Amino acid sequence: MALAQGLTKRAGGVRSASVSRRTVNPVRCSVFSAKNAAQRSAEVGREWLETILSRFGPATDRAQNITTLDFEKPLSELDKRIKEVRKVAEENGVDVSSQIGELESRAQQLRKETYSRLTPTQRLQVARHPNRPTCLDIILNITDKFVELHGDRAGLDDPAIVCGIGSMDGVSFMFIGHQKGRNTKENIRRNFGMPQPNGYRKAMRFMRHANKFGLPIVTFVDTPGAYAGKKAEELGQGEAIAYNLREMFGLRVPVISVVIGEGGSGGALAIGCANKNLIMENSVYYVASPEACAAILWKSRSASNQATEALRITADQLVRLEVMDEVIPEPLGGAHSDPVAAFPAIKAAILSTFRHYEPMSEREIQLDRYQKFRKLGQFEEWVVRGADWRNVRSERASAAGVQTDAGTWALNEAEAAYIESSVNADEAWDATLVEKADWTNKPVQPPGLGRSGVMEMAVSMVEARRRKQAAAGSRSTAPAPAAAAKQEAAV
Amino acid sequence: MMSLKSSVGSSLAGKACHGANAQVLPRLAVPAPLAGTAVRPSLAVNAVNPEKNGAYEGSPIVSGPISVGAMDKDSKGSSKPVDRSKGLWTRCDKCGVILYIKHLKEHHHICFGCNYHLKMSSQERIDHMIDPGSWRPFDETLSPCDPLDFVDMKPYPDRVRDSQDKTGMNDAIRTGTGLLHGIPVALAVMEFGFMGGSMGSVVGEKLTRLIEYATQEGLTLLVVCTSGGARMQEGIMSLMQMAKISGALHVHQNEANLLYISILTSPTTGGVTASFGMLGDVIIAEPQAIIGFAGRRVIEQTLREELPDDFQTAEYLLDKGLLDLVVPRSFLKGALFEIIDFYKNAPYKRRGKIPFGVQRGTYGLTAEEKMRRRWREWSSAGSNGSGTPALAAAAAEPSYQDLVASFQQVCSSAAESLTPGELDVADLVKEPAALNDAVSISRDSVIEWMEAQEALLGKKEQQQPEFVFRVKPATYSGRAV
Repeated sequence: MALAQGLTKRAGGVRSASVSRRTVNPVRCSVFSAKNAAQRSAEVGREWLETILSRFGPATDRAQNITTLDFEKPLSELDKRIKEVRKVAEENGVDVSSQIGELESRAQQLRKETYSRLTPTQRLQVARHPNRPTCLDIILNITDKFVELHGDRAGLDDPAIVCGIGSMDGVSFMFIGHQKGRNTKENIRRNFGMPQPNGYRKAMRFMRHANKFGLPIVTFVDTPGAYAGKKAEELGQGEAIAYNLREMFGLRVPVISVVIGEGGSGGALAIGCANKNLIMENSVYYVASPEACAAILWKSRSASNQATEALRITADQLVRLEVMDEVIPEPLGGAHSDPVAAFPAIKAAILSTFRHYEPMSEREIQLDRYQKFRKLGQFEEWVVRGADWRNVRSERASAAGVQTDAGTWALNEAEAAYIESSVNADEAWDATLVEKADWTNKPVQPPGLGRSGVMEMAVSMVEARRRKQAAAGSRSTAPAPAAAAKQEAAV
Repeated sequence: MMSLKSSVGSSLAGKACHGANAQVLPRLAVPAPLAGTAVRPSLAVNAVNPEKNGAYEGSPIVSGPISVGAMDKDSKGSSKPVDRSKGLWTRCDKCGVILYIKHLKEHHHICFGCNYHLKMSSQERIDHMIDPGSWRPFDETLSPCDPLDFVDMKPYPDRVRDSQDKTGMNDAIRTGTGLLHGIPVALAVMEFGFMGGSMGSVVGEKLTRLIEYATQEGLTLLVVCTSGGARMQEGIMSLMQMAKISGALHVHQNEANLLYISILTSPTTGGVTASFGMLGDVIIAEPQAIIGFAGRRVIEQTLREELPDDFQTAEYLLDKGLLDLVVPRSFLKGALFEIIDFYKNAPYKRRGKIPFGVQRGTYGLTAEEKMRRRWREWSSAGSNGSGTPALAAAAAEPSYQDLVASFQQVCSSAAESLTPGELDVADLVKEPAALNDAVSISRDSVIEWMEAQEALLGKKEQQQPEFVFRVKPATYSGRAV
């Protein structure tokens, strides 16, 4: 036992002051010891585990020194008053339970009111709260077993990105996430959660690893952005992010991304091209930090509040824009005030999303990821000057219009002429392509693609007929996938 | 590795291209009298002001058709520079020498004094790279909306309208196909004059459609990148375009095994560098181009140290192993021809596949027109007594041969063995109303498709893998021939 204590003391030099450490559960040690371990081997496993967990302990209860945000000040004052009243009552032996009950209900009411009406600026502050549970906090609390793995096999490891394999409910997952520190010292070690190119290459290596062995991937996004430094640029920060973005679409396993803090632009997206994007209630995701946006567009950093409101970064706004799929609820007061209550919701959301993907085949999973991002983007097909699309749409809906020779509706003669000349040019280009066939390498694909409209027409005809017959009540014809299969077989 | 200089041969005289084994110095030498000029050679992206046509802040030299010394206040008291050059001349950004616009256009916008590559508009680039008369633009009418109702110092719709008026384009990219010395390529060129080349939903959609078309036809993809980053006024939608384009590139490069060459011009920063800019199979940059991810000023503020003068230039990136080639603009078209020619003659070239995809219904103004024209062909051929579109295939132009032939197979096989529940395309084509129904459905729907085997079988049924063995006589050294 003395040996164990000595090891703990030495290895536990870097104590994170803000979260209390609990003793390691013997169950956790069974990862590295035999199944029916004797007491001694359990102890040895525990010592070994403490050497690698010594820098980090799972978050169990409220941190010792909690930072209070501005809008939380009235709440914290009420809490302090409750504590004072309790202390005075204990010292003097007076019964003040009724007063305390009243104060506590008031505090609860105030908390509910504050946290149900958070402005985007306040939500940004909560998302960046120094006591908010980090990636490792969450992983160590939702998994039964977890082992962290390291290195990009190319000369560097990155402490800002954490990768490892864990199991939840008997199913093994690959976990990848951005890791912020819980105090200043840890933050410097973790580079404030800002990964360098080697971090992204480490993440890609583990995604390939999961792809090879069939582990579904869960990523935790919590970063102010990719690190902007000289060495990072020289190692290829842009290239590392781009490579991740592209290769994530080739993974055959489902990828589930959870935004647990702030999601900073490309640095977050590099591990966030997922089948499903989950976001915690008070987390944010932005294309540029509100401070940078204010500096560039408003020409002064003091306009950060306006930028935060304008950029639409909060969870509910992102779900409305269809960029995020599901909001994970946080306990009242934010995840930083009651972390242990926040973890079950995250675990339940991840597992239920995973169950949705369990019966799918690999191609279906890839198609699901592709179509999730393919549909994002707001634009108009026809010319709209000054983004005035509502007027243009109503104009087009109400106008009588003309028809081209083949029968397509056009707004006016000019547009009809433009459509006809475009299609003529397309047909001329198709003729050129046939001549130059040795310069092309046409891949195997369903027939009728290539902007010709044939595939859409065939599938739509079948679908129209199916709907008509379904409406008429007669036996429906073959659904579209069978038709596609027929066409596939015909190729 | 053969350096490009020898392969390009006698047709290109003058300075060689910059490659890994090039004999010339990696940096263009600045002529001695101008070396002492106070102009900083690297134009930091953050300091580039599109309104001032690319000059950095505090610069006494303003490029573009604006005369120097015209920074004096006009009668209204504003310090806007007054154009006295009548659009006839401009100054080089780097060395300040006077350049006549007509000569500049002839020399591909390269300064004769210091070889600095000035900015070119997207139409000029297309004229430079594509054989005249073969350019076929796509999706010219796609226009931006205002997804976030964004208002900073000026409402976003006003910014869009001003840029549309200034450049004559609807957004910051031109996409299309054309011939490059006779090679059919799919080309996209970004436009820096439109809100700093920023990438929004329209840029993402146009580029994704072009990549999907290039994949479907098996064309080489070329993208000329110049951008200040993602468009902040469109918020998170701009960020998602990075993922969308990268997904299409995955299918193009990894599944279909096709070539993608990205050409980086000055400046290329931010979201474009972090997505399609650095994903080319071959990455070519122009000399002295500013290419990076984070802005120079941001890095200086983070690190609080002086960065080298050539910090984010093309030659610097070449040195750090991030680029394949640095090619001066006068050699670019020839170099591209030679590179694509190499890939054409690859002896073990593989045919790829497109295993999944999404069609957004009848997008664009042309899809419906094409459907209707094809319908007319088939139904008119049918009404001429042939009865099925199978004979229409023979009457159709050979350019649609493979498409119509596949339909022919569908129709003929359907006629032979029609199990209950299978479609009969010949039957469908006879109904005139079916076309309008089909058009209305496809206009509102998204069609997803993927490989049939997986769709029908699911992952539970694993087929027995097949192995092929070949026995070879051993040579004296024990190896099979």
